[in-house]
Amino acid sequence: MTLTIGKIASAAQVSTDTLRYYEREGLIGPTSKSRGGYRLYDRDAVRRVRFIKQAQNCGFTLTEIRVLLDLRAGEAACCGDVRRFSLEKKLQLEAKIKAMRTMSKALDHLIAACSDESRPLDDCPILAAFER
Amino acid sequence: MKVELFYTPGCDKCADGKETLKATAERLVPDVVWRELNVIDELDYAVEVGVLTLPAMAIDGELVFSSLPTPRQFRRELTMRMKRAV
Repeated sequence: MTLTIGKIASAAQVSTDTLRYYEREGLIGPTSKSRGGYRLYDRDAVRRVRFIKQAQNCGFTLTEIRVLLDLRAGEAACCGDVRRFSLEKKLQLEAKIKAMRTMSKALDHLIAACSDESRPLDDCPILAAFER
Repeated sequence: MKVELFYTPGCDKCADGKETLKATAERLVPDVVWRELNVIDELDYAVEVGVLTLPAMAIDGELVFSSLPTPRQFRRELTMRMKRAV
């Protein structure tokens, strides 16, 4: 059974633009074409699109999702490979969170230093700190 | 000198060559402290050290290898650090 891009979009709850983007990125592809030239996909495409969306929700980029899809399709890989890949993603996310916390703390100091809102811009301690 | 290997259980890449590296460290550095850290248990410390890929290796709290080094690379690094410490 083959499906049009519209049917895939509706079943996976994404826009057709998103599907075309996935297709340009090589994450999904049509299995055949209709007589009218429309691209047709098999049922696995819906499963694949759902997989991509769930992985994106966990912070994986499309490039990383391609690796996950390859791992899923490969016979040489095992669950430990996926686990290690996911742990590496978690380490990256935690590193970003740590960097953002540092940024947030830096802003706390600047905001605290700017207690008088009526000061002229020339005396703004936040702007002055960025000029240093 | 403290050598820390960050790993995840069940990871073949993490286990391959680990014993050789440990033996190299123990042979070259008399006072070496060899630690194997499961990232799941030591996540905050791994992030603090800057570990982003597994396995990874830190020496004296500094991330030196983002994957397991070859015995030669490891020997060179240890030798350099020992010379620096003299």
